[in-house]
Amino acid sequence: MAAGRRDWLRPFGELPRRRGLTLRVLAFVLPLGLWCVVSYVPFIWHPMIRVTDPGDVDWMTRDQVVEGDAFRTENQAIAARGGHIARGAPTNPVFLPAPHEVLRALVTGFTTPPARPDEPWLHEALLHSIGIIFWGFLISSVIGVPLGILCGALPSMARLTEPFIEFFRYLPAPAFGALAVAVLGINDAPKIAIIFIGTFFQQVLVIANTARRLDPALLEAAQTLGAKPRQLLWRVVVPGIITDLYSDQRVLLGWAWTYLIVAELIGVSSGITFFINQQAKYRAYDRVFASIILIGLIGLTTDVILASIGRQIFPWVRTSRTGWLSQALQRLKRGERRIPVAAISAEVTDETTTQTTANVAAREAAS
Amino acid sequence: MTAAEPVAALPDYRAQAPEVAERFRKLQERPVILEVRGLVKDFTVRDGGTTRALDNVSFRAHRREIMCVIGPSGCGKSTVARILAGLEDASGGEVLLDGKQVHGPGPDRGMVFQGYTLFPWLTVTKNVMFGLELSGEHSNATAEEEARAWIQLVGLHKFADAYPHQLSGGMKQRVAIARALAPRPRILLMDEPFGALDAQTRAQMQSYLLQIWKQVDVTIIFITHDLDEAIYLADRILVLDAHPGRVRELMEVAVPRPRTPEQFLSPTFMAARRHLQELIHPPAAQAQDRIPMIRMTVVGDDVE
Repeated sequence: MAAGRRDWLRPFGELPRRRGLTLRVLAFVLPLGLWCVVSYVPFIWHPMIRVTDPGDVDWMTRDQVVEGDAFRTENQAIAARGGHIARGAPTNPVFLPAPHEVLRALVTGFTTPPARPDEPWLHEALLHSIGIIFWGFLISSVIGVPLGILCGALPSMARLTEPFIEFFRYLPAPAFGALAVAVLGINDAPKIAIIFIGTFFQQVLVIANTARRLDPALLEAAQTLGAKPRQLLWRVVVPGIITDLYSDQRVLLGWAWTYLIVAELIGVSSGITFFINQQAKYRAYDRVFASIILIGLIGLTTDVILASIGRQIFPWVRTSRTGWLSQALQRLKRGERRIPVAAISAEVTDETTTQTTANVAAREAAS
Repeated sequence: MTAAEPVAALPDYRAQAPEVAERFRKLQERPVILEVRGLVKDFTVRDGGTTRALDNVSFRAHRREIMCVIGPSGCGKSTVARILAGLEDASGGEVLLDGKQVHGPGPDRGMVFQGYTLFPWLTVTKNVMFGLELSGEHSNATAEEEARAWIQLVGLHKFADAYPHQLSGGMKQRVAIARALAPRPRILLMDEPFGALDAQTRAQMQSYLLQIWKQVDVTIIFITHDLDEAIYLADRILVLDAHPGRVRELMEVAVPRPRTPEQFLSPTFMAARRHLQELIHPPAAQAQDRIPMIRMTVVGDDVE
């Protein structure tokens, strides 16, 4: 399919597969490329000078990184005196390591022992953080998802709870840090509480809104089939919104991650936050960057995995390709059903029914 | 239909062949399944006042009858169906099913909607099983067996394990009919069920419906705005007036059964059609339908 140039700008236009893939790759390549340009092209930015030869400047040492202006002022002064000028190469500040340095830190991060024995390894710090997120998000979901569904489905429940939740969600979760420490101590509990507070109130409102978007015609159809209120909730509302609810949960999990750093500063600093802060103290900014990138990678990977699981467990979603899991399940189901189906079709020998079926089949063949 | 046609040649729409008259006599002898008495529906409008959508609507439907409800837009025919289904409360009057007053929706009144209302997360079989499972009277196995029989009745056994999004519009409505019939309702309410389908599929669905109706003990109340559809399907047609919706006439369709698409051109059919046309869209109203328009073409550039 030859897509014209104007197709790029057509709202809701369809992208050819290859172009879509290219853009996806570019999404990462572009920022990475920008970072490379800033890091590797000497005349772009590079405000600092890494000293290779201090010359007659008495306060400079080899490999010291100094301000470009200071370096030039000193050299001018020395040149005026006719002394031996300092030499150096332009470089970026220590807080912006080059991509290859960060990559090296990523690779060696898990094998580098901590600087002090009481500090965690990188993987220990990450696992600890994942644990905090897990518990915070789980506790929030266990209460928030059912409450959200109820709020969406029952106007009385929505009136009773939503005004307060609406008020509470504007309170910044970190504001409860001191309180959480006072009540829950200084270890993991207050951190989990902050994740909970940051997630829960949004969660109820988001899921309630999702539940409200359910097509009311489905509820009416179910009622004319004899569904009682409780059956409506379990057999129509919950399955009817489950795919959207699943997407909501994916978005909300992302929000939970954004509260992580704040949460881990509360009480005894721990997890990846503590790790990052320690590396910054040691001026190991390559490892700071590596840790931040790891958080992003964990988030992205989780989301991709969850999306793929979603395609597997919701086979009725129009856009989903049939996943390996549902294929296997269907094969299992067909295997189970083969016998009863044969039994039924053998039983249906009632003349009228077969006649109708024959008619219908004939019509279908004709059409 | 233009005035130039020899309309006088058509028979009286009330004239019935002996066998048709005999069929109506038998129909009247059958027990009354549905009785609607003095139905009133008021809607509250924005400024706090009320507007009357239905005014004193009364009729009776006999067992295994197909009754079509037609009327101009705004006559409240959908409201009638929704009140019968229990999805809306009447402001006055009563609905009796087998002589007992009905309250709220229930499985004794099945409904097929204009929009597609199959549950997208259930396969065709599971959709049809939905009502059977709710009643709690069937085990899972018997419910599935029964559902498969209904699916066979609507000719979709090949699609028993398909999801709704894999079906065409006509197939979806056939599943919807099977799903509505599975819990064995006393009446089947159909609210313009084929309105969203293209003309060819609609014609096909109408003849499917007649075939299904012959095999099942069910009384059908069929809401439509399509005169041909009403005449083709109905034993009797309930004609409503608009603003407020009142019963204009309960007309017996003299076209003999079994119905075939060829009858569309028969004099009896056309007589019935002309009568309905006059009731719903009287010539006086047609004259008012002309919209004053500005001419947008050059003078003399005429197409008619």
